[in-house]
Amino acid sequence: MPLEPHLFATPPRAYSTRRSFLQRAGSGMGLLALTGLLDQEGFRASAHAETDERALHPLAPRPSHFPAKAKSVIWLFMNGGQSQVDTWDYKPELIKRHGTELEGFDKNTGFFTGQVGPLMKSPFKFEKRGQSGTWVSEIFPNIAGHVDDMAFIHSCFTETNNHSPALFEINTGMSRMGFPCVGSWVTYGLGTENQNLPAFVVMYDTLGRGLPKGNASNWGPGFLPGIYQGTALNGQGPPMDNLFRPASMTDKQQRSQIDLLTRLNGRFQQENPGEAALAARIETFELAYRMQMTAPDALDYNNESPATKALYGIDDPKCTHFAKQCLMARRLVERGVRFVQIYSGGMENERSWDGHQDIVKNHAGFALETDQPIAALLSDLKQRGLLDSTLILCCGEFGRLPIVQKGGTGRDHNPHAFTTWMAGGGVKPGVHYGETDEFGHKAVVDRVSVNDLHATVLHLLGIEHTRLTYRFNGRDFRLTDVAGRVVKEVIA
Amino acid sequence: MSLPRALVPLLVLGLAASARAAEPDAKGVEFFERKVRPILAERCYGCHSAQAKKVRGGLLLDTREGWAKGGDTGPAIVPGDPGKSLLVQAIQWTDETLQMPPKGKLPPEEVAILLDWVKRGAPDPRHGGVAAKPRQVIDIEAARRMWAFQPLKPAAPPKVTNESWPRNPVDRFILAKLEEKGIAPNATAAKRTLIRRAYLDLIGIPPTPEEVEAFVNDGSNDAFERAIDHLLASPHYGERWGRHWLDLARFAESHGFEHDYDRPTAYHYRDFVIEALNRDLPYDTFVQWQIAGDELAPSDNLALKATGFLAAGVHSTQITANQVEKERYDELDDIVNTIGTSMLGLTIGCARCHDHKFDPIPQKDYYRLLSTFTTTVRTEYDLKIDPEGDAKALAAYEREHAPLVAALQKFEAEQLPARFEEWEKTRPESPGQPAWVVLDLAETRSQGGAAFKKQDDGSYLASGKNVDFDTYRFVAHVDLKGITGLKIEALADPSMVKGGPGRAANGNFDLTQVTVTAGSRDGKSAAETIVLQNPKATFEQPGLPIAAAIDDNPKSGWAVDPQFGKNHAAVFEFGRDISFEGGTTLTITLVFNGNNMHNIGRPRLSVTTAPRPVGLDGNPTPLNIAQALKTPRSERKADQTAALLTWYRAIDPEWQKLNKAVGDHAAKAPKPSVVKALISSEGLPAVRLHTQGGDFLEKTHFLKRGDPNQKLEEATEAFLSVLTTAPDAEKHWIVPPPQGWRTSYRRRALANWITDVDYGAGNLLARVIVNRLWQHHLGRGIISTPSDFGAQGEKPTHPELVDWLASELIRNGWKLKPLHKLIMLSAVYQEAAELDTNKLKADHDNKLFWHYSRQRLEAEAIRDAMLAVSGLLDETPFGPGTLDEKQKRRSIYFTVKRSKLIPMMVLFDAPDALQGTGLRPSTTIAPQSLMLMNSPIVREWAEGFARRVEMKAKGSVPDAVKSAYLIALGREPTADELTDGTAFIEQQRETYPAKALQPALADFCQVLLSLNEFVFVD
Repeated sequence: MPLEPHLFATPPRAYSTRRSFLQRAGSGMGLLALTGLLDQEGFRASAHAETDERALHPLAPRPSHFPAKAKSVIWLFMNGGQSQVDTWDYKPELIKRHGTELEGFDKNTGFFTGQVGPLMKSPFKFEKRGQSGTWVSEIFPNIAGHVDDMAFIHSCFTETNNHSPALFEINTGMSRMGFPCVGSWVTYGLGTENQNLPAFVVMYDTLGRGLPKGNASNWGPGFLPGIYQGTALNGQGPPMDNLFRPASMTDKQQRSQIDLLTRLNGRFQQENPGEAALAARIETFELAYRMQMTAPDALDYNNESPATKALYGIDDPKCTHFAKQCLMARRLVERGVRFVQIYSGGMENERSWDGHQDIVKNHAGFALETDQPIAALLSDLKQRGLLDSTLILCCGEFGRLPIVQKGGTGRDHNPHAFTTWMAGGGVKPGVHYGETDEFGHKAVVDRVSVNDLHATVLHLLGIEHTRLTYRFNGRDFRLTDVAGRVVKEVIA
Repeated sequence: MSLPRALVPLLVLGLAASARAAEPDAKGVEFFERKVRPILAERCYGCHSAQAKKVRGGLLLDTREGWAKGGDTGPAIVPGDPGKSLLVQAIQWTDETLQMPPKGKLPPEEVAILLDWVKRGAPDPRHGGVAAKPRQVIDIEAARRMWAFQPLKPAAPPKVTNESWPRNPVDRFILAKLEEKGIAPNATAAKRTLIRRAYLDLIGIPPTPEEVEAFVNDGSNDAFERAIDHLLASPHYGERWGRHWLDLARFAESHGFEHDYDRPTAYHYRDFVIEALNRDLPYDTFVQWQIAGDELAPSDNLALKATGFLAAGVHSTQITANQVEKERYDELDDIVNTIGTSMLGLTIGCARCHDHKFDPIPQKDYYRLLSTFTTTVRTEYDLKIDPEGDAKALAAYEREHAPLVAALQKFEAEQLPARFEEWEKTRPESPGQPAWVVLDLAETRSQGGAAFKKQDDGSYLASGKNVDFDTYRFVAHVDLKGITGLKIEALADPSMVKGGPGRAANGNFDLTQVTVTAGSRDGKSAAETIVLQNPKATFEQPGLPIAAAIDDNPKSGWAVDPQFGKNHAAVFEFGRDISFEGGTTLTITLVFNGNNMHNIGRPRLSVTTAPRPVGLDGNPTPLNIAQALKTPRSERKADQTAALLTWYRAIDPEWQKLNKAVGDHAAKAPKPSVVKALISSEGLPAVRLHTQGGDFLEKTHFLKRGDPNQKLEEATEAFLSVLTTAPDAEKHWIVPPPQGWRTSYRRRALANWITDVDYGAGNLLARVIVNRLWQHHLGRGIISTPSDFGAQGEKPTHPELVDWLASELIRNGWKLKPLHKLIMLSAVYQEAAELDTNKLKADHDNKLFWHYSRQRLEAEAIRDAMLAVSGLLDETPFGPGTLDEKQKRRSIYFTVKRSKLIPMMVLFDAPDALQGTGLRPSTTIAPQSLMLMNSPIVREWAEGFARRVEMKAKGSVPDAVKSAYLIALGREPTADELTDGTAFIEQQRETYPAKALQPALADFCQVLLSLNEFVFVD
């Protein structure tokens, strides 16, 4: 992808001293940026060029700390909390003990403290698949064909049992609001390969079932500059705001406007030499003009081959919406977009994987929506040679309890265990790491915290998680706070 | 589990000490070396030995002394007693909060070995010091020597060589440093530039062409000073500068988290900030009120609104039982942290889990400060908006009301007894059993929580809670025999809407179910359900007959619309006569399940023994009245006579008339004019969402590692030690509240400490705010990390100037407007922005302020400037905001909803209101340009701007270009610009139908709004 260094740019007042910017950027990526890029405006003394480059072009691609396995990430978010024991964490003991009480169970574990029932086996059949002998639930007939490309971490756990804090935790590492999410940290650290497209794209439910709880805070930049926020494609209507010229205006009319603007701004620029910020702003109008064409093109899957469309299930009503999003995700990473996150399911309860009432109806339903598109995404990326450089990650904000939620046949929230699977992007294929107890209730062997998971994602992208820092209100913040261990066992 | 653990070390210390002395025997050593040491080395040394990269929990397991002394939670092993050994607990994973090793449980055989070892008395040959590094203790005395914590040292403004440059003392501090470096400050900016700068800076909208010309043509010496005075007096000043403070206060109008519910009355805090600034409320008061306005000035609305500061943070809207404590500590952390960064420039929040790593803030200080807010909650408070008017209205009302009451009292004293006597002589019912005996209820219960108050006439007036669907349960004990029916009256009362008789918003009720059970009072005969039949009512709303109250449909019922303000009654005949030896217990249940809040407001129940069919006739009489009536007058006791009069008057037409006059007038009593505002206070009902716990925790504890599961002793109020120099420490500010006052006065103490320049944080408070003013005027603070004055922050470039300005602020009674003026009248503020290559080499970052730093306007100012230029700006101040991006008021009046931030504001770096921020980033990104090019809203403004221009130009395109430049930029176009602009408009015209001028002009105006010159302050 050709590098267009000036297309997103930041002449920061906040970074008005280079030193302050450097300090904010910490000893990690800030210094990494000191690679002698030339100052193309030629206004500044060369000694300042590197850091000005960092400040003026915050989304320019930046070298990683060490050679990266993955260039981009597609995070498939099973919103509402996927049940591990009904998907990827097969538990024979649970079948045996079906209907008995789970001894020592703390009734405050789930959300409905008064609806604690006995152990409930998975209603789904499991089958061993692939060379890896991975147990797969019958609800994933298509993904089952890819298990040898996938790595499973069965011992993930989180700190909170409620959707929105748990969503914040898995997205930002903190269960409180206000911290940058993984996608923001990654684009802050690495920039993006295509300046004509947003660096970090989020897609949520388009069937009107709502946004994940906490809404845009899940892809928010927290205290990082606003450019690192995820661009959420609108569920309905034009995918991005202001992307299209007003209907009353022709291309020629708008082009004339921009030409005039450039000329007038250029004159002002000449009268005020030395202000790189002014030049950067002139360029954003050219970029915006180009984005009007490139962005819709990247998101338009209509020209994909019939075979590809069929592979994803674009025209199959059971999964059209998710298929489109998976296909768009491929088109985006293909064009150099750094980070894509797709949410399966809407806000909560039966509108998402939050199967409190009826796990069969809920999980089988959402599996039907996602199984074919996800399998297609894996096949398609592999076929195009993109899987090696694209990290696919799939999990929810927490798992579900092995006991039944009284009053129905569903399961309540479980912060103590969930399964995350990854594929591509330097992941060791076909491995299983970590274990839950015999019922799948708690992660007990090789436990992996959210910080560990984040450290691992950053590692695959070539980032040392302890060195990706940003100073805010006097403190150097990290995605992994003061913890985080790279789960080397799942890295190829 | 955690509390006992904290006690364990104290209890077992003695044991541990004695065990330590014994040297292990050879067998013990062998057991240790062969079995135990390998496990410890492999599994534990990584975090618990001298060679560990980082020792966790302060615990060392590589020496005997290490485990005997133990870590943060006390001795790890009590030899011989596995039950008391934390290490054993930890490896067994029995306690959720103490599980070692953290990554996974040890294999069972290893657990068994360690258990066995402890049982054997933990023989251990390893000796050695307790190698853990001594915990660094913060030296408060030494820390006080840091510049930020020292008292102000206002030095005299320094001498300078170029005496002609300084316009006021500020400039001497600046020039002295510049002269040291041999840099000449820039010349003064052109007057046109200067006036535009001042307008955008102080009020956030550009000057009109007329204002520019007036200033440019004003040759007097004090022209700029008068312009500044004019702007500081403008109501727009608060709208511009208030926004800076709202950033720091993480102000928003929704709760955040999962539902992000609105806080519809939170805007009062925003209005407080604007008004306080416009009034030039002294900054110390401004700060004090935000912390404790409700305690310091409880009758001042502005002070009450100010406490919205504490309420502005996020609040989880769905708190599960096991998260209640964590969420509350998080919430308090948000408050303390925000006070720290916004007011003191300190990152107090960093001391939550451990002593602050860089600044002298021990963890202890953090929790003691936190305890200030223990009982503080968000609450919606009725602000009286017109107390004077209210008092006047009340006085007028009382003047009219008094005679009515007097007339009633006079009637009761002078005429009532005689009239009663008269009535008694001629009353229709003979003494004896009245037709209806009012039930004296032994039990009155409303499922929805309404309270019942017994009235003189035996009815029960409901008040308080009025839930959507209530159920009343009444129990009465009666001695009557042969009861044949029940009467339910729904009486009118002025306390209800339209006088009732229902509590619904229209005065109606909807009685959907009546059930009666009867049993013997002594319980020998169980209660059984009585069949109710032949219902009759005084009035039935069409479609809602009384029969519906005893049918099988739980939703159908009896109602009385539109007969409001009247008494209604219904009677039911019992299926059989009710008589129980020793008395009957009747339970009557009334269900209101038909419509929201349609509950009867003043029920009266009575029974009859009259023969069937049971009719509506007959005035219910309480039993005691019936008895009193039966008693000959000469034998009546005084209380009987009084009861009779009280009972009788209710049926006396004359009394009714007079009483109604009093009641009717009372119903018109003036209500104080109030508006609800979200404030913070104590002892008032908290705004509650979905939480499975209390609104606050009764006590604040010190928490080990910030973990609510690891509580230590209670934390009591104190302030930052480093900023507390009073001889009596925190007691200097802590005073008990007056008797009976509802708040704790803890926040008041904090407010007094934080502004105390002698013994408290006042000097730092002043330094931080003068630096913020400087930052917004000059583009960078003297301390460039405006919310971090600690060791990690930047050092001041001009420390003497900060102290001098802070002293000036305090000397001027903490007024901010004089400080603005002081800064803006300085030569340094008025410098031109041009960049000189040589000076850039000497001071690239302008740390010495040799030039004015050109700045892009903030989101709000960009939008407001465009609106102003378009002629569409609506200047209405204050009140509820809106989420409508198309609104035309100033941007500060957008509602800040955390999940629905205004896209246009976010694009230009408006903060997300989750944490306070004193320094906005200023990004330049393509989506901003897309907005300026494609947004229909921007287009609408451009069209408004074009209409203004067209009106002035009267058809001449060059005049239109000139006029547009004057309006947008405050200057005429250059010759080139005029040529370009004219050509552009003519050319665009060709492309529109009928060569229309208007759209072509709008195209041009849109370009001007997008110019760098428009969005940058020069």
